[in-house]
Amino acid sequence: MLRTDEILSTIEMLHAEHLDVRAVTLAINVDDCAAPNVEHLCRKLSGKITSRAQRLVEICDRIGVKYGIPVTNKRIAISPVSTILAGHGRSAAVQVAKTLDRAAFDCRVDFVGGFSALVHKGISAGDEVVMNSLPDVLAQTHRVCASVNLASRRAGINMDAVHQMGHIIKRIAEATTAQRGFGCAKLVVFANIPEDNPFMAGAYMGSGEPEAAVNIGVSGPGVVGSALKRRIAIEPNLTLGDLAEEIKITSFRVTRVGELIGREVAAELGVAFGIVDLSLAPTPTVGDSIGEIIETLGLACVGAPGSTAAVALLNDAVKKGGLFASSSVGGLSGAFIPVSEDGTLARAAGKGQLVLEKLEAMTSVCSVGLDMIAVPGDTPAETLSAIIADEMAIGVINNKTTAVRIIPVPGAKAGEVVDFGGLFGSTPILEVRNSGASDVFVRRGGRIPAPLQSLGN
Amino acid sequence: MPRFDNAYVLDVMSDDHPGIVAAVTNAVEGLGGNIDSCSQTVLGGYFTLIMIVSLPEAIEAEELAARVRGAESLGSEYQVVARRAVPHAASAPRVETDRFVITAFGQDQPGIVRRFSQYLASKDINIVDLYGDRKGEEFVLIGQVQVPKRWDIRMLQADLEQMGQELGFTVKLQHENIFVATNQLRLTQSPQG
Repeated sequence: MLRTDEILSTIEMLHAEHLDVRAVTLAINVDDCAAPNVEHLCRKLSGKITSRAQRLVEICDRIGVKYGIPVTNKRIAISPVSTILAGHGRSAAVQVAKTLDRAAFDCRVDFVGGFSALVHKGISAGDEVVMNSLPDVLAQTHRVCASVNLASRRAGINMDAVHQMGHIIKRIAEATTAQRGFGCAKLVVFANIPEDNPFMAGAYMGSGEPEAAVNIGVSGPGVVGSALKRRIAIEPNLTLGDLAEEIKITSFRVTRVGELIGREVAAELGVAFGIVDLSLAPTPTVGDSIGEIIETLGLACVGAPGSTAAVALLNDAVKKGGLFASSSVGGLSGAFIPVSEDGTLARAAGKGQLVLEKLEAMTSVCSVGLDMIAVPGDTPAETLSAIIADEMAIGVINNKTTAVRIIPVPGAKAGEVVDFGGLFGSTPILEVRNSGASDVFVRRGGRIPAPLQSLGN
Repeated sequence: MPRFDNAYVLDVMSDDHPGIVAAVTNAVEGLGGNIDSCSQTVLGGYFTLIMIVSLPEAIEAEELAARVRGAESLGSEYQVVARRAVPHAASAPRVETDRFVITAFGQDQPGIVRRFSQYLASKDINIVDLYGDRKGEEFVLIGQVQVPKRWDIRMLQADLEQMGQELGFTVKLQHENIFVATNQLRLTQSPQG
């Protein structure tokens, strides 16, 4: 029998603190859709995705109702399209992307991820097609998300690919000038890309995964933020250790909710349950912010000295609570700091309290990296590549996933505000210091070798 | 399963103070009886206890009640009711059900518990645990209920929300697994359970 206080505390978490399941992502392997004829390929792709995913939204909604917990985003992730695009050209890539766009629309999901290439050690013919088609693909589709893995702990950093991606990101921004370079918001470049990440834009289904699986993203930072505020209101002098404990307990609870719903969705779809991703993904909604948690911990503004330590505390406590709650933890699992998608981060960036370099420092202890960063449209491609290279280095050396989602907004200058709308939010354009000073380094290309596995200081 | 063949259900109410359970169990032991299960609660300063007891020799239920009344301690008065327990009554499942929790919050007014319980009764929904509390002007009602599987939960939720709107109450009906998952270390029922 449940106790009354247990029921009341869950009710408070659900209704006062807006607990939700942030993402249910159905991952599907599409390697068997390969065909020499692109029309044939697209028919197979469309048929496989819609037959697997057509009930996803209805099932998520029904299970959400049963538990009184909304499933906010329903998505599809596929195995990298570079595999099925090998032997095809750029026009085929665009056709495949439009097929994915249509299949996502038909299944009523907001995004389909997996327009991806893994090039951390070298670029195959299929990868080349994916990378070069990105400007057309991201300009001509709405729901397709792309990712490129540029570096790994075991391979090092593919600087040729990093160099290329700087130019490709510029071309994507130009191809989507009317939407202020929004195409770039649908592309993430990674070091150590996880195979089972449910969060967009970087979700894809990696090798070693089953034919299909359901991966879950837990609730957002709002629940953790509210729990901390409630505890501090009762006991204002709590130590950081006490607050870490509170985060751990909240993380345990949201993870259990995610796993409960994920397993039930998977069972109803007749596919494997994959993982729960513990990441706290903020939204522009007030109160659903990582920046606000950092300020609740005691910093007057995010970006102030202490911010990196605060993110480290948060990230670690979230993992500890989540790992006790579930034996199926995976994906990125930490705290996201996407600037435009987090109202407090965006506001701090607008006031000059949070700068690119401090964000980079924070990414060394958070779960992803430089995320939803808008920079001036005239930032040179090599400088974008160098920003990416720095972020890749943090991931490769520290044996963690890092990523960059950067938008060089065409025609925009530092300090201007750009609004991407909806969940993507709005952000000031961040200043890129020493722009243009990295050209020779980036153009050298080659591969930054894989790091030592020992002497880890 | 009772230890002896002669099972009774025993209900004791009193103002709350230390020593009631000791006095009641002493009386049962005096008859050579065994306590097979029990549950007690204290509400508003009043104590209530329900027990299944079994005796080696059959006696009239009223005699058992009288023995317990005679065990009164500290001068307080026990109200005691006893009756023969029918062994199969508790275990007979009526229909296949699933466990849900209904919660209702709003400004207190007469008739809240009646309205909700009448609705639940009309749908053959059994209440297995009920909690209500008035705090300030607000009333909180929590019921753990067994919902027959034949009902569409969305239909029940819509009815309850409508009733809540009429009363100015926020009402939720949620599967109990969500409360188990967020509070307890035990595993939840299987998804199809």
